[in-house]
Amino acid sequence: MDENGERMIRVLGLGNVLMSDDGLGPYVVRVLEANYECPSGVEFVDAGTPGLDLTPYLLDARAVIFVDTVSSKGQPGEIRVYERDEILKYPPQTRTGPHDPALKEALLRVAAVNGGPEQVTLIGVIPQWVATGVAMSPIVQDAVPRAVVAVVEALTRLGKPPVLRERAIQPDLWWCDAPEKFSHPAAK
Amino acid sequence: MSRITIDPVTRIEGHLRIDAEIDGGVVRKAWSSGQMFRGIERILQGRDPREAWLFTQRFCGVCTTVHAIASVRAVENALQLQVPLNAQYIRNLILAAHAMHDHIVHFYHLSALDWVDVVSALQADPAKTSALAETLSTWPGNSKMKLTAVRDKLKGFVDNGQLGIFQNGYWGHPAMKLSPEVNLLAVSHYLEALEQQRRINQVVAILGGKTPNIQNLAVGGVANAINLDNQATLNMDKLYQVKDLIDEIQAFIQQVYFVDVCAIGAMYADWLTYGKGVTNYLSVPDLPLDSAGTQFDFPGGVIMNGDLSSVQEIRTFNEPFFKENVTESIARAWYDGDWTKHPFEEDTEPRYTSFQDNGKYSWVKAPRFKGHPMQVGPLAQVLAGVALGHKPTVKWATKTLETAGSIAKTTLTPAVLHSTLGRHAARMIRTQLIAELAQKHWNLLVNNIAKGDTSIYNEPVFPKGEQRGFGFHEAPRGTLSHWVVIRDGKIANYQAVVPSTWNAGPRDEKDQPGPYEASLVGNPVADAERPLELIRTVHSFDPCLACAIHTVDVEGTEIAKVKAL
Repeated sequence: MDENGERMIRVLGLGNVLMSDDGLGPYVVRVLEANYECPSGVEFVDAGTPGLDLTPYLLDARAVIFVDTVSSKGQPGEIRVYERDEILKYPPQTRTGPHDPALKEALLRVAAVNGGPEQVTLIGVIPQWVATGVAMSPIVQDAVPRAVVAVVEALTRLGKPPVLRERAIQPDLWWCDAPEKFSHPAAK
Repeated sequence: MSRITIDPVTRIEGHLRIDAEIDGGVVRKAWSSGQMFRGIERILQGRDPREAWLFTQRFCGVCTTVHAIASVRAVENALQLQVPLNAQYIRNLILAAHAMHDHIVHFYHLSALDWVDVVSALQADPAKTSALAETLSTWPGNSKMKLTAVRDKLKGFVDNGQLGIFQNGYWGHPAMKLSPEVNLLAVSHYLEALEQQRRINQVVAILGGKTPNIQNLAVGGVANAINLDNQATLNMDKLYQVKDLIDEIQAFIQQVYFVDVCAIGAMYADWLTYGKGVTNYLSVPDLPLDSAGTQFDFPGGVIMNGDLSSVQEIRTFNEPFFKENVTESIARAWYDGDWTKHPFEEDTEPRYTSFQDNGKYSWVKAPRFKGHPMQVGPLAQVLAGVALGHKPTVKWATKTLETAGSIAKTTLTPAVLHSTLGRHAARMIRTQLIAELAQKHWNLLVNNIAKGDTSIYNEPVFPKGEQRGFGFHEAPRGTLSHWVVIRDGKIANYQAVVPSTWNAGPRDEKDQPGPYEASLVGNPVADAERPLELIRTVHSFDPCLACAIHTVDVEGTEIAKVKAL
């Protein structure tokens, strides 16, 4: 709940920052928060890969905007925007392990409890490669500003347009730093 | 003879695949295969050891905090660095909250529907259900009104032709045995548990700064400044919020989770005989009570061949018995070579072949303790507690067996814990213990602060040369250990030996199967097209292998492939 007792709007960046392009979601959230003031009643969350543990972030939200990589026909770096019904059009897959990607299941679960968020938007970027590593492919990196704009537009549609910061701060992309940045005095 | 492969096919790799040979309706042989190469530890090479925990908590999006804690413990061990008492207590509270959250989600949301037939719940009489619930628990959420609302909600889903959340179950399967009333009660608790897990998650958020990735850890302690009069720091207001949340979740754990597990254990008593598998058990002590990590609230140890009298306790964060006896084998895993090595010495090069029943068939390595496969998880910890005479463990284990026994009108001995449902029972027993210990550690923290101690951090100093350290944590899925080699202040090598590797690992150079593989042998399979029984046993371990990547497949129409060959 925000300070007016309204249910929250959340921007949830999903993905694993240690798996190259899969880190797109957290990356976009970090760039977003560095360039825009977060409006009241809105939260920007670098949510990682929570699987079903997404549920707590949906239960008290009236709208959510996911940012993630998506499998789709098309070129790497292209953006796809899906709304709730499209996300849930195909049933989730049976899972052997309990923690597989579970965006659909999490949405269905909160739907069973309290209906869940009324508005759900997924801003997806088609990845070029997903493999162990902290660097994104250049083409997906180039998609970041467009994905940020797509989030801003989605928030604007929800009546919560974020305002550009007078002076942008450095995004906290700690995982992108070269190991050298942390070189220790003892190493020299 | 037929063969079942359970292999959720997606466009991304990264799942658990189970193969089973069935003969006469019973599993004769099984293979467990991790379908994704991770090798994620290599990202850490060359980095500052003080930053390692930030990266390791991203290994897995569900088990975030556990990898963070194991990492700082490993680096602290390498430096022989102690941490202040407040830091231990704050870490312990975060770990306890995370574990309660994780265990509740596992039971209700990831495995209860292996036992509970949602469609059958539609036939239930809410009044009868409520009356039945009253004989088991005083929980106020079991009223006739509440249960009627749940049934009507379910009916709404079905009438709209959309079971939503529940559409993937094996409804009407011959192995489903609960009455409509018990099914309705369970569905009601399933929905209630969703709200409970949201609340306990707030404890992690308050103490950890953020969720799901906490921000308050540091090698040498925590970053939670303590000032009881300052709004911006850890203060009494925040501590009382934590206390209230722990109280609430403990009520649910005692009045609902306890009863549900006992009831399912009693009503599926045959599943106390299936799924035993490997009965060598490994657990490590946790919830440290001192700065050096020599005294703990949870005991841990090694049990061989299910013989509790064989228990050997693991006593400290420096325990050589643990440090010296862990190895990993790649004889049957997709890596170059066939070695067995200590984690400090590993240098893994991936080499994928294909799925070879008698050769290499998994990306998961096979960890061994003194050369033996070991089962890890809450069952290992509970058995160690019982074997070592740990009073709270004995108390809850006894209470569980008595309660389930009285529902089943029989006498249950600790021997039934070596089973598929025994693992669920042990997880619940562990959750009771954790709830009690969360209360205890909250008091320890508050009393220590009241004494005037606000210390939270000892600064790490990295000498020139090489240091080696290991850090363990008894995580929700079992024993987790991180192994770090530091050279001149930088990480030279890093390995994480995770619980699901112990349990889901393949055979080794001696052809000894891992715990999943062994536990499936002897399982009945009523319907090879719908192998619910195999899912039950695999789920009882709470597998977690595939969390490292998360590309969403919105448009995908592929469904899980369960093929009988």
